[in-house]
Order: sequence, then structure tokens, then C-alpha cells
Amino acid sequence: MNDFIRPIPSVIDLYEEGDLGNLNIFKIGEYLEEEMHIPFRLRGNIYKRSSKKRREGVSIELARIKVKDPGKRFVSEVPLHGEVDYEKRRISDSHWKIFGILYEGVFYQEIVSNLIFKQRIDLNRCIILFTNQLFGTWDRVTHRYHARVSLYGFPNLISLPGLVEAPAKPKAFYLKKQMGTPVEWLKEEYREMFLDHGDSRMTEVLKGYAMQALLFHLTGDPFCADRDCRLFNSHWQEEVLHSQMDGKYEFCPRHEKILKGLRERR
Amino acid sequence: MAKKKHIFTPVSEKEVTRAIVDSFARQFIEYVESDCLIIGGGPSGLMAGRDIALKGVKTLIVERNNYIGGGFWIGGYLMNKVTVREPAQKVLEELGIPYEKAVKGLYVADGPHACSKLIAAACDAGVKFANMTIFDDVVLREGNRVCGAVVNWTPVNALPREITCVDPIALEAKFVVDSTGHDACVVKKLEERGILKTVGFGAMWVDQSEDLVVEHTGEAHPGLIVTGMAVATTYGLPRMGPTFGAMLLSGRKGAQVILQKMKKK
Repeated sequence: MNDFIRPIPSVIDLYEEGDLGNLNIFKIGEYLEEEMHIPFRLRGNIYKRSSKKRREGVSIELARIKVKDPGKRFVSEVPLHGEVDYEKRRISDSHWKIFGILYEGVFYQEIVSNLIFKQRIDLNRCIILFTNQLFGTWDRVTHRYHARVSLYGFPNLISLPGLVEAPAKPKAFYLKKQMGTPVEWLKEEYREMFLDHGDSRMTEVLKGYAMQALLFHLTGDPFCADRDCRLFNSHWQEEVLHSQMDGKYEFCPRHEKILKGLRERR
Repeated sequence: MAKKKHIFTPVSEKEVTRAIVDSFARQFIEYVESDCLIIGGGPSGLMAGRDIALKGVKTLIVERNNYIGGGFWIGGYLMNKVTVREPAQKVLEELGIPYEKAVKGLYVADGPHACSKLIAAACDAGVKFANMTIFDDVVLREGNRVCGAVVNWTPVNALPREITCVDPIALEAKFVVDSTGHDACVVKKLEERGILKTVGFGAMWVDQSEDLVVEHTGEAHPGLIVTGMAVATTYGLPRMGPTFGAMLLSGRKGAQVILQKMKKK
């Protein structure tokens, strides 16, 4: 944990991108408010306040940041007309369901940041965007892009498909899949061991990720090493479900103390 | 002794040859210029051709192989069962192709039955074919608009140039469709000329790639519509695997784009 603690924001702004299925953002907001005593606002679709011209510009920017080969460092290229057209349609439709393109996470964050903050980043607002799109970041150890659940910063990004695709499923799932067992059967067999798209547990699980985002905003350190704490940085689906649903406690004693201290600063 | 009657009417060899040449030449002359020239006779090309031909659009499909249908005869791993995901089974119904449900949202049909029905549907709609004909280059006009293709006989192209120095010929059309699968031959030709830049397809991700392929189907360059797996190559989308629903629906969307653009013209 950093010694430096930023001022407590006066509000938590929750934004959405695309169709988030059965995710209940209001409940996540309530949870954050209850835990940290900071009020929240539901801000709706991230693009809805942008003019048509601005959206056209954003479409071009988004089309430029597609990671087409996860094994290579990202290079921004001039997008094709069809790619820009796809983005234009995607961001104009708040109920857009389709995903599967991997966006460069850091650039994605920058685009969203420019949409929200007019000039300077406003630390008085903690921003969390829940998106139905997938983003990744370059891993300097494995030398490839990896899909991510979240990317904390100003703003914080949380990806629903990332929550399904990024943390690894049980090893047996991949082994059986390699042996040719249809994915539909495997999903049935391992249903309790990983999250799937549209999973009813998403809201509960993402409460913990939203808390990580808020803690990042406050301290710059969102994670905990205790796998029973909701701030645990999970790499496996089983870890996600354990820390967010079946952990021994909401937050480990150390973080409970830190959060209490932060609450009292308000 | 009574003379034995022939089953077939006697016709000389030269008349058979004349019939082939005459019929081929008449059709070829007519289709040297068409409304839509589709490169690649796989499922997406056939579907696009069938849908636009039904609306009276003069359509020629160029296919490098002797057989039409591309990979639609065979599913994965040389097994002749093809799968489609919902809602593409509605196209199977429309074409009269029998299918059965595998699991929720996934349907299986016999490759030969599905492919032959699709070819027949395209023929019935009025699509004409130039098979054993290989795409060689694009015809460009003002503003680099694609308005035709340079083609040659496939066997000519397959032999070394020292043996077969045969020049190709050009076909003109209002629209050209690249439905050449992963190769994206037409798009690649534009790339060679520095007009477009592609990145090739990504790793296989059946769940998402089908949606993305259909959503990205459209005009990639003035005059050039891209359908099927060529879409994945053009835009660097995930590979699809042995499912064909997106091929059919991408072909259908390509047809809608062409019809819309023809209406505007």
C-alpha cells in the first residue's frame, strides 16, 4: 500500500458501454456507497453525451487501437473504412451486444478519459466504466497481449467479457476441450467453477472489482495477497469465485482497517 | 430381323462440340459485363449471388476449381457434416436443407445435401458460373474504384510460365465481391498495389468470430464488397472454425449491401 493517499472523491460516477445483460450497476453503486460512504451516480452510456461529430472521431480512434496479433507489440495503423463504420455503429447503439475485438487497453482508457474529462483529470470524481468490450495489455514477461478484467486508472475500466475470458478456467476444461469434448458439454460440467457470459453472479463478483477500482483511486494500490479478500488479484476463475463469493470475509483484517481509516477521513 | 432402336437420338461429335462452344460463348459474351462479379464460389459467394440474382441482378461467380461450393461440402477434419448456429438454420430451412439439432442453438446438416441445395438455389435464381477460372487481378477505374477482374483458366495459371504464356482477360462489373475465403485474393491484390492493408485472421474463436464477420461484411473499398472468411482476413478478426452460419449470413448481408448501393446508383 502506498503511503500517499489521494483526497476522498465526492462522488462515484458509474458509466456503461454496450449491452451489459443482467448486470445491476445500481446494486454495485449501493455497495460502494455502503462500504465507503461516498455517494454514487448512474451516468448511463458513455457515448450518449457526445455529439455526432465527436462520435465519428472516437470511431476512428477506436478502429486504430485494435490488437490484431496478440503475439506482437501493438502498432497503430490507418483503419479501413469498414472498421471505422463498425465502430460508428457500435458506439451509436447503447444496446450493442457484439464483442470479440481485443482493444489496446491503455489507449482505450485514454479515449474514455478524453470523453469524460474535458481538460484535466478531476480527482474529485471516481469514474468506473463497465464495458461489454474486451481489452488487453502487453505482458512484459510473456511478450504477448493478455485480455484483462480491469484496468485501473482515471477512469477505471471493468470488462464483463474480460471477466469471462481473462481468468483461466479449470485446467481440466482445457484438457477436455483439446480432446474434442464440445464446449457446450464442458460448460455444463464445470458451470460452478467459472463465470460465463450473462452469468447471474456477475453483479456480486463485480462489487469486489469496483472496490478495487475505488481503492486504486484512493491509494494507487488496488490489490491484496489474501485470496479470501475481495481485493485479491485473481488469475483463475476459481480464485475469482472464491474471493468474491465464498471468501472467509468481505475484506481481510488489514484492508478492513485501511478502509475504516479512509471512511473516517471523509 | 427388326432393326434395334437407339435409346438416344443420333448426334455427331461435331454437333456436340458446336453445342458446347456456342452455348459457352454466348453466355460468356453476355457475362463479360455483369452487374456483380463474385470471386469465389463458396457458401458466402453462393449465398450473396443467390440473393441478388433473385432480385434480377446479373451475376457471375468465378470459381478457380472445377467444383462449386468451396469448403461447404465438408465440415471439420474431413467429416462431411456441416454445423450452423442459430439463427442460420433459418437459411437452411429456406433452402430446403434438412438438419438436426446438436445442442441448444447448434444445428447439423449433411455437407453434400446442404452444398448441393445451395448451388441449386443459386442456379435457380439465375446466377451463372465461370468455373476453372482463376482471379488474377483487379480492374480499377477513377478513384481506384474496383469495377472488374482479370481472370485466366486455372490450368494455365497452374503451369510454369515458360510452358503457358497465356495472357488473361478482363471481366467488368458494377460491383466485385471477394468471397475467396481466408486467402482474400481480391483484397490482397489491392494490398499489393498499396491501396488497402490487411493483417490476416487471428486465433480461432468460434463464439465471437461469427458475429464479427457478419457485422464487418460490406464495402471494404469502393466497388469491392467482402464476404465470408475474406472479411476475417481483411479486418484481422478471429478465425472461425468449422461452423458455416456466418458464411451464409455474411453472404446475405453482402447481397443487401449490393442491392442498397445499386438502388442509390
